[in-house]
Amino acid sequence: MMQANEPLPRLSVLHIFKVYYPDLFGGTLSVIRDICAELKETFSAAILVCSRSDGEGEIVVDDVKVERVHSFGDVLSLPAAPSYPLRLWRRIAEHDLLALHAPFPLADLVFALGFGRNRPLVVHWHADIVSHARLRRWVEPLIRGTLRRAQAIIVSDHVLIDKTPLLQEFADKCCVVPFGVDVDEYAEPLRHRAEVGHDRGRLVLACGRLVPYKGFDVLIRAAVGRDFEVWIVGEGRERARLEELCRELGVEHRVRLLGAVSDGELAKLMCMADVFVLPSVTNAETFGLVQLEAMAAARPIVNTRLDTAVPHVARHGIEAITVPPGDPARLGKAIDTLLADPERRRRMGEAARRRAVIKYSTYVFRNGIEMVYRQAIAAKAAARPVAPAQPTSATLPGAIRIAAALAWSDMRHRYVRSILGPFWMSIQMAIMVGVLGSVIGHLSNAGAVARLPMLALSLTAWTFLSNVVLDATTALQNSASLIKDRALPPIIFLLQCVFRQGLFALHNACVPLLLWLVLTPMNVDGALAALPGLALFSICTLGLSIVLGAIATRFRDLKPIIESTLTLAFLASPIIWTPEMINHGASITRFNPLTHLFAVWREPLATGEVAMTSLLYVLVCVAVLALGSVVTALHLRKAAFWI
Amino acid sequence: MASISLSKVCLDYPLYGAYGFSLKRRLLGRLIREPDRTQTIRALDDVTIEAASRDRIGLTGPNGSGKSTLLRLIAGVYPPTSGRLDITGSIMPLLGLNAGANLDFVAADNIGLLLRISGRKPTPAIVDEIWAFTELEERMRHLPLRMFSSGMLMRVLFATATAFPADILLLDEWLSVVDENFSAKAEQRLLKLVQLAAIVIIASHDQGLLRRTCTRIVSLDHGRIVNMTKVGAEPASQPRLQEMRA
Repeated sequence: MMQANEPLPRLSVLHIFKVYYPDLFGGTLSVIRDICAELKETFSAAILVCSRSDGEGEIVVDDVKVERVHSFGDVLSLPAAPSYPLRLWRRIAEHDLLALHAPFPLADLVFALGFGRNRPLVVHWHADIVSHARLRRWVEPLIRGTLRRAQAIIVSDHVLIDKTPLLQEFADKCCVVPFGVDVDEYAEPLRHRAEVGHDRGRLVLACGRLVPYKGFDVLIRAAVGRDFEVWIVGEGRERARLEELCRELGVEHRVRLLGAVSDGELAKLMCMADVFVLPSVTNAETFGLVQLEAMAAARPIVNTRLDTAVPHVARHGIEAITVPPGDPARLGKAIDTLLADPERRRRMGEAARRRAVIKYSTYVFRNGIEMVYRQAIAAKAAARPVAPAQPTSATLPGAIRIAAALAWSDMRHRYVRSILGPFWMSIQMAIMVGVLGSVIGHLSNAGAVARLPMLALSLTAWTFLSNVVLDATTALQNSASLIKDRALPPIIFLLQCVFRQGLFALHNACVPLLLWLVLTPMNVDGALAALPGLALFSICTLGLSIVLGAIATRFRDLKPIIESTLTLAFLASPIIWTPEMINHGASITRFNPLTHLFAVWREPLATGEVAMTSLLYVLVCVAVLALGSVVTALHLRKAAFWI
Repeated sequence: MASISLSKVCLDYPLYGAYGFSLKRRLLGRLIREPDRTQTIRALDDVTIEAASRDRIGLTGPNGSGKSTLLRLIAGVYPPTSGRLDITGSIMPLLGLNAGANLDFVAADNIGLLLRISGRKPTPAIVDEIWAFTELEERMRHLPLRMFSSGMLMRVLFATATAFPADILLLDEWLSVVDENFSAKAEQRLLKLVQLAAIVIIASHDQGLLRRTCTRIVSLDHGRIVNMTKVGAEPASQPRLQEMRA
């Protein structure tokens, strides 16, 4: 009700991503690791990811609890982990804040289903989906839904907001928090390098997962016909192809694929290199965290002119030389230019380190992230007292919920002050079936007892249909005060009729069920085949209740007409009799929609076959009623005038 | 933020009670070229009201001047015939307390049902709190409502209807609970509800009440706004409670 949440000492945040250490290394993962480490005093972190390894589900990496959901491998760069959404849904409630590291459509799916609505959500926008352009069309609505629901979107550079159409829609939610780098980590190796004076003057370093968008093939091609050495740090599925390329181009003695190395080792390698190259070729490279590390190591950079933060982190002419992506000749020339000019390398390196210290410090990063997290939690908490106060009756699920509550209370009202208890309705139905059954047994010669279950079921269904229609004609007038004084949408009361009579029909259904179990051999297949037909029957009843309920409220003389029509229809339709009992081809049965409405579920139950003509007939009826219901629902706004 | 914006809103109330609308009349009328008589009453005519947060608007006017109709229009019961109607925020219409109660059910079930009707889940804690507010005996909770006196019934309905705050509060006459002891408490709760709501609209004949409670008073006559006055005084606060009850 009206209480404020008490502040908690340490808030917990759940990081949601597809993969984590030790299954993979890379920029996004180190960002998550840094966030967990930097914020550990104010936020306790947990990570939920997928993993292909069969090992234990929960491990601890760098003091952070990592829960790993089993994945069967990657499909279109996405882990195929069917249990991930379920696990995520269960974990959401345990945390104060959700941090989604996008893109990860599997998690977007969970949010699209409405789970975690009452938890604050922050999206870390790491990259757009670039590699599977066709897939993008399908997941974009999902991503948009997540962004709409998020309290804040964190991007690493302002250019991402300007160049990503999806982010532009939510520009007011975007917060720019540039990644940070711990410059002190590089102080020791740098001093070492200065002491040793180790300067070969021809060592080029690149680092990243061996995946196509990193553009290492461009770097290898750039090495052809030049005399610098290339060391590439990183592991990945492209390794074999890159090695093959080196051999083809005859540069295998100057290009070395070093594989994965530890962070300390990488820092040393960085300080050994003369030039650092980030040859990425697509916008999947949003920031180039590794070039920031090279800047902290005071290395001059060669990067590519992407529409992302890459050329903004290390700027052309100041800290870097920026070349067009995918151009080996220009890349090679830029590297050569730098290698030939030690003074320029030194100047650029110093500028790079200065920029890393000032603009991309871990301090700025930590404060930025913490502020966004706290604001997201505060914004959600502020929105919370308003959320439950929203009247939910305006939406369809809200209307259905209210209608169901009303119908349930109607059913309980039937029990109140009854002498025979809840099942007096069923007893009434049993008596009716018995009497009618014996009468029909006299009229026709064969198998009166065998026909009893079908008779009972047909009567139950008919009672449902006719009572729904009868109820609907007076439902709106009976609920006039709720419509006018409580401003409830009129459609609720028509739904209420259907739900209420549905509950009564379930009571009555005991009679046919018992008879069926006792009198006929078990035919579960037939019963299953009848279910879709019964569903169609119920949908038609719903449509009828909406259309007739509204019209009968508007035109009062319709109610007696409907009443007499129902009596007539009961006699003229094969409910207590079957089409076989009279002249088979009688047109009155053939053109009567009720015949077919009953046939769609009676035929499968009796013979196991679906009558196609009846099905077609009923589908047309459903379509007409659906159209009628939509038109009626639009006019129901005026129902308050009619009552 | 809650806001209400009505611009040039008209509402024609169709008179379905009259006979003139039947099929026979329509067909014959067309045949003998009887002039089409209007079968509507203009219940609201060119009504323009803007309300932002912290506004308390009083509606006044003679019977049938359109006060209740205007409240229902804002609540979404009637669609406007012409004009624009923009409302943001949740609306709580307190136009009548009796709607939805089932006298055959015990009090606790009625509270649950009424809460569900207003789209909320009746948790035991909420029901307990509502029952505590009514100050009725615990055993009464499991008696059917038809055993209650009208005063007791009013207590239950009032406590349930006013259990939650809303952005926009619509009141048709100041809800009065006749019971001497209870009415002070009810008054207090209503005042608190008025204070919590961003926008309050009260329709009343009681000029004194409107002057004390509202920031603006809109006079209606035959569905038209005839006068709109700003009230200088601050909205009613706790010390004025005694005065209000008088």
